Amino acid sequence: MSSTVEQLSAQQPGGGEPPQPPAGQGLVPATWRRLKRITLSYASFWVIVFMIALSLLSWLGVPLSPYAYDQTTSATLSAPSAAHPMGTDELGRDLLARVIYGSRLSMMIGLTTALIALFFGTIYGAIAGYCGGRVDAILMRGVDVAYALPDLLVMILVGVLVGRGTGGILTALGLISWMGTARLVRAQFLQLKHEEFVEAARSCGQGPLALIFKHLLPNSIGPILVALTFIVPAAIISESTLSFIGLGLSPPACSWGTLASEGWRSLRTHPHLILFPSLFIFLTVLSFNFLGDGLRDALDPRTRLATRR
Amino acid sequence: MAWLVLRRALWAIPVLWVVATVTFILVRVVPGGPFDAEKNLPPGIVANIKAKYHLDRPVAEQYLLYLGRLSRGDLGVSYKYANRTVNDILSDAFPVSVQLGAMALAIAVLAGVPLGTVAAVRRGRLLDFACMTLSTVGISVPSFLVGALLIYLLGIWLKALPVALWESPRHMILPALTLSFLPCAYVARLTRASVLEVMQKDWVRTARSKGLSPAVTIVKHVLRNSLVPVVTILGPLTAVLITGSFTVEYIFAVPGMGRFFITAVINRDYDLIMATSLIFALILIVSNTLVDIAYTFLDPKIRLEH
Repeated sequence: MSSTVEQLSAQQPGGGEPPQPPAGQGLVPATWRRLKRITLSYASFWVIVFMIALSLLSWLGVPLSPYAYDQTTSATLSAPSAAHPMGTDELGRDLLARVIYGSRLSMMIGLTTALIALFFGTIYGAIAGYCGGRVDAILMRGVDVAYALPDLLVMILVGVLVGRGTGGILTALGLISWMGTARLVRAQFLQLKHEEFVEAARSCGQGPLALIFKHLLPNSIGPILVALTFIVPAAIISESTLSFIGLGLSPPACSWGTLASEGWRSLRTHPHLILFPSLFIFLTVLSFNFLGDGLRDALDPRTRLATRR
Repeated sequence: MAWLVLRRALWAIPVLWVVATVTFILVRVVPGGPFDAEKNLPPGIVANIKAKYHLDRPVAEQYLLYLGRLSRGDLGVSYKYANRTVNDILSDAFPVSVQLGAMALAIAVLAGVPLGTVAAVRRGRLLDFACMTLSTVGISVPSFLVGALLIYLLGIWLKALPVALWESPRHMILPALTLSFLPCAYVARLTRASVLEVMQKDWVRTARSKGLSPAVTIVKHVLRNSLVPVVTILGPLTAVLITGSFTVEYIFAVPGMGRFFITAVINRDYDLIMATSLIFALILIVSNTLVDIAYTFLDPKIRLEH
């Protein structure tokens, strides 16, 4: 008897306070719980955490400098060994140090592009979706035109125009990635703005900005988050491809793309030089894609109903 | 049908004009000109060269001159490939790119549709999981890694296939395979989703209950009706193939449009850049029109007259 009382009081610490909602019912904890059940996506989440940690680590300092070189013949272009787990390049630089160092630029470009696309795409889509009518029609034709231009064409032309440094790449990648978010936010807004809770807020006298930021956007956050996880890998692939064909970043800048590009030249004799950077790109992009798939399933209202029933 | 084609053809003219104008502005805004890289030419000679190509005129006049030439089907001359007109270069490069793209598209559809169908039929089973994991891998792998792996395994290690250039059908296998990887993954995912949807229709149950075998039901009834969305993305896929061909042509030293475009941009070879952009836009328009026509065959309910 007394043990039951103890259990009850243990469940509600500070008995006087109003009862808290049971843990794991909010959007974030519930989604997290469902995501955990999708093994591949959950594992991918931790791979991404690892990659981000790796790129942060490079700011603290890599044990071996990515630029330190050793040009004695035995040290250049060596195969993977205990001293150099991924081997060395043609200048005798340690490839592992360079791959860790390269993760900094690659991850930064991927994540920043996603934020840029998110920012401008959301504003554009929010205006189109909130205003509707003719404004919407005109804005969406703009999206169609942006979609019609081949990505690489835009990237090459912008790269030449803005310059081929990190800024140019980010501009170019931002320009080709915002349209998806814009379409998505617009569709969400068009659908949500006639919902009763929005009508109710409007009839309470809330202005457009309050409606957008307090009601429409928070209710669209799920799909936007999913879109975000798909923009990052696309940006990482685009950057590395562009750098690979020699139109993106170029040495001494060091990203996974430039490393693959350097490795490409010695594919015939030393395939490990292109293999390791490419594998890191592949693993990161794959993880983001799996995480996106899992997140979409975890957030999908239909599967949500199904689990509730 | 003829009316549709005619209307699309008329629409293509303003679209191409917009693309030409945008590209023209972009290209002229970019710093640097086609003859900047020449070493130590006396100013007089540079001025003569520029005068020959009308590059000394005001930009507005150059634009009108270009449109005038374009309307007569003259794409101009290349500044870098001496004595070659753009029409001449493109008539060499364009068929190569079309051939490469068509082969990649064929591989993508022939492999992607069965993969997606099998995944849908075995929904939730191991085979479904394997097919879908494979397709996620397909959209995650950078094309240069696919290219490098294929070159290393089949070209260098097994010495089974040539790794570069474009001379015989054997030269085309590796580039086409590399280029087909991404579209194949897209086609497989879309086919799976579409087949799953169609399999839940009443008339599929009817077909099964009147005694048709599962295989016949899938092939004759489900698949044909699932193909509309697959055909729909063939238009956007063409754009993916164009973009992808840049990299693949670079990797395998294929003398196609992508490679000419990259070198043209680097060299500021104005007319060649313009012509390449215009051709890419034209390919997109044509492929979207073909997709619309294909609808009428797959689904007679879709009428194109409106």
